[in-house]
Amino acid sequence: MSSRRPVVTGLGIITAAGCGVSAVWDALRTGRSGLGPLTLFASPRYGSHQVGQVRAEVDQLAGDARGSRSDKLAWIAAREAIRQSGLAAPLAGARADRAAVLLGTTVAGILGTETMLDRLLRKQRHSFIPARYHECASATDLCARRFGARGPTATFSTACSAGALAIATAAELIENDEADVALAGGADSLSRLTLNGFGSLLLLDAEGCRPFDAARAGISLGEGAAMLVLEADETARARGARILARLSGWGASCDATHPTAPDAQGGGAAAAMQQALERGGLTPLDIGYVSAHGTGTPDNDVMEARALRRVFGDAAPPFASVKRFFGHTLAASGAIQAVVCVQALREQAAPGNLGFEKMDPQIGLEPSRGFQSRRLQHVLSNSFGFGGNNVVLVFSNAGSDPVSAAVRRPRRPSAMPLAVLGAGLVSAGGHTMAGVRNALAQGGATPSWLELAAPFPLGRMRGYTCGDIGANEAIPAARRRRLGHLQQMALLAAKRSLPQGLPAWLAPDRVCAAIGTGLGCLGETAAFVENMLVNEERAPLAGRFANSVHNACASQLAIEFNLRGLNSTSTHREISFEAALWHGANELRQGRADMALAGAADELSPYAQAVGERWGWWDGNAPAIRPFGRELKGRRRPLPGEGAAVFTLVRDGQGPPPLARLRSVRFGRFAAPAGGPPEAQGEAAWIRETLERDGVALASADLLLTGASGWPPWDDACREVASVLSVLRGRELNCGAYKQACGEHYSASAFGFFVALGLVRGEIEPGLCLAGADTGARPPRTVLLYTLAPGGSHALCCVCA
Amino acid sequence: MQLPTDELKNKIIKALNLDKITPADIQDDQPLFGGGLGLDSLDALDLVSMLERDYGILIQDMESARQAFATYRTLEDFVQRNRR
Repeated sequence: MSSRRPVVTGLGIITAAGCGVSAVWDALRTGRSGLGPLTLFASPRYGSHQVGQVRAEVDQLAGDARGSRSDKLAWIAAREAIRQSGLAAPLAGARADRAAVLLGTTVAGILGTETMLDRLLRKQRHSFIPARYHECASATDLCARRFGARGPTATFSTACSAGALAIATAAELIENDEADVALAGGADSLSRLTLNGFGSLLLLDAEGCRPFDAARAGISLGEGAAMLVLEADETARARGARILARLSGWGASCDATHPTAPDAQGGGAAAAMQQALERGGLTPLDIGYVSAHGTGTPDNDVMEARALRRVFGDAAPPFASVKRFFGHTLAASGAIQAVVCVQALREQAAPGNLGFEKMDPQIGLEPSRGFQSRRLQHVLSNSFGFGGNNVVLVFSNAGSDPVSAAVRRPRRPSAMPLAVLGAGLVSAGGHTMAGVRNALAQGGATPSWLELAAPFPLGRMRGYTCGDIGANEAIPAARRRRLGHLQQMALLAAKRSLPQGLPAWLAPDRVCAAIGTGLGCLGETAAFVENMLVNEERAPLAGRFANSVHNACASQLAIEFNLRGLNSTSTHREISFEAALWHGANELRQGRADMALAGAADELSPYAQAVGERWGWWDGNAPAIRPFGRELKGRRRPLPGEGAAVFTLVRDGQGPPPLARLRSVRFGRFAAPAGGPPEAQGEAAWIRETLERDGVALASADLLLTGASGWPPWDDACREVASVLSVLRGRELNCGAYKQACGEHYSASAFGFFVALGLVRGEIEPGLCLAGADTGARPPRTVLLYTLAPGGSHALCCVCA
Repeated sequence: MQLPTDELKNKIIKALNLDKITPADIQDDQPLFGGGLGLDSLDALDLVSMLERDYGILIQDMESARQAFATYRTLEDFVQRNRR
């Protein structure tokens, strides 16, 4: 029996129905809904709606933790979970290196951003501080810093299934032996964007949601956070931790045919449930209770009932949605349900479906009505998101015997080489390998001026824009009219990586897509928010809202190529791409997918550029990027850019001769003094350990390709890492850079991966990446793509000829 | 009061970003959705937004708008009867 099986040792939760596991459980036991009036902000249109607003004093509870409301909710839940686990935070030493933090969020810090933009629009005094906490990664980094984690740290934004995806991903990392302990969950605050957004889709029930009821009319929006401490069975036992439950199964599928509507027949949802059961070595009969997604929208509940019937036949176990207790907490909902499920196993009792009165003949199933004692061995939890992103978790009693899973896992998955079959690019430096080579030969791409649109008075700036990306020829007008700029870039990159479309031998459910995006479709989001603020919530733009979700790119790929495997969107600053690549690679290595589309995309929208500048990430008035050039002094930051790159990967040995091989991909956190670059010795050791783990000799590396962008402390850090590695192996390791051809942006390392492919294929001379230096004509055979994020993350990919 | 010729059609084209479509392409008695224009439920919601912004018509749920959205002609009648 694998003792790497994940177990739960800590729970934390904060919701409208209470703060802390015992308060929330009390609300569930006594049938007390947390829905109530909206007082967090004024909403001219939806102010009278019932919402699941957290009533506790969030700022006070968060103590000295700084961040957005979502960040604070996340930390409050995380702190409770860590306390229960008995782990000492911050962790230290080897335990810290083996600790992961994975968080799902959708709304992130938008609530503060809205307030900031509102004041900006009214020409009132405002601070740009909320923008600093706007990003999805903000909550994750806060929790990781305070937990002291230095293992894999990533953020996922697959809309309403993100919290569940974070938990499932934590389980993968633990089973893979890439982490021993993981803090995983989800957090989302209420916001005007989501309230108006769901309003624009006519999906809000002003009176409060009634999941599965005949008269249901939509969701109630809620907010909250929930976190789990997950550990490998063996390490939890070794430290004498109390095991609360086992996470015995998880499954993910995609059924995107439409940006917001689910597959009416419930095929994708059923597939995810079946996968989760199979992973746990369970049959439908083993499940004693289902925590349903049950949002209360007419479509979701019919679909979910169909999916339940597909999996369980006419003998569906008792099921209930807790949405009437908490509201729909979006990315937090899957994690909140996970906490409810673990607590149900511990208490041998389960909550009922508040808000249900009358059976809908279209649904034909009646949910469990009241709180009831039950004999529970295994419980299942459903989470479904926009873009058909479905994730299902199965929890089992701590005392239950782990059934030998039907799914075999490779012994050292991270060491399994993968083949890169295709590469597609949209960038300021061109959209082909030849174009990128020429841009590098000219010392970089040419930045252009960007006009910042009214009504936000944010000035005029420069950046590396992609110009004509060729969307008019490649995407039919009927399709293009509904896509934002970011989605068009991502779709084009994907099409270029798969010029012939998907090979016929591939089954759609064996293809996964994992796309990174640091900021998501901020252009679309800003357009929605701008319309909302200017028109005082009249006439909200439904199409813009559907495009504003971070997973709008990955779900467009699923729609375009009919992909039915895992559909993941990672949103963790500069390492968004590497986390996505890891996710795609892991699906291949575990044998769940036969092809992975992995990539990243970020756009240079006026709003992102202006606000990003004020955070101090990039600078629209800087000179053109010259890596290692030492030209940026003081508060000057690199020029921003944009672009998308998507790669198609298979297991090595499958398909036609590959472009190159991926030998290693890893992401994590480094230790460094507040906000500064890491110290080179530790980084070099981390790189060497990663390569050793994955069976690559450090001696074989020819080039360290870095994200150096002319920002001295970070450029110096990259160069020092290369020189320490040189000493370690007793031979010079060259240090290169690529951002001069794509600009500073969160998806730049995907462009770097494209350059790495060109280098090992001999299509880009190594001298072109070395800021003037020339090291001879021999093409490198092994390139290390090394990425640092000022938030504290680092990542490494090893690309070989 | 009669709407100016093609005003509503032009507004539909603009609201839905129908690049290559001219008012003549929107035939009065053809189904608006699921037909030749390739419109779906998300487009219907963008039309709901346009009707609110440009004609002051507030639609609270799609069920009540289903008949109005059947064809261009039914939509035009609906706008003429309900505009404010």
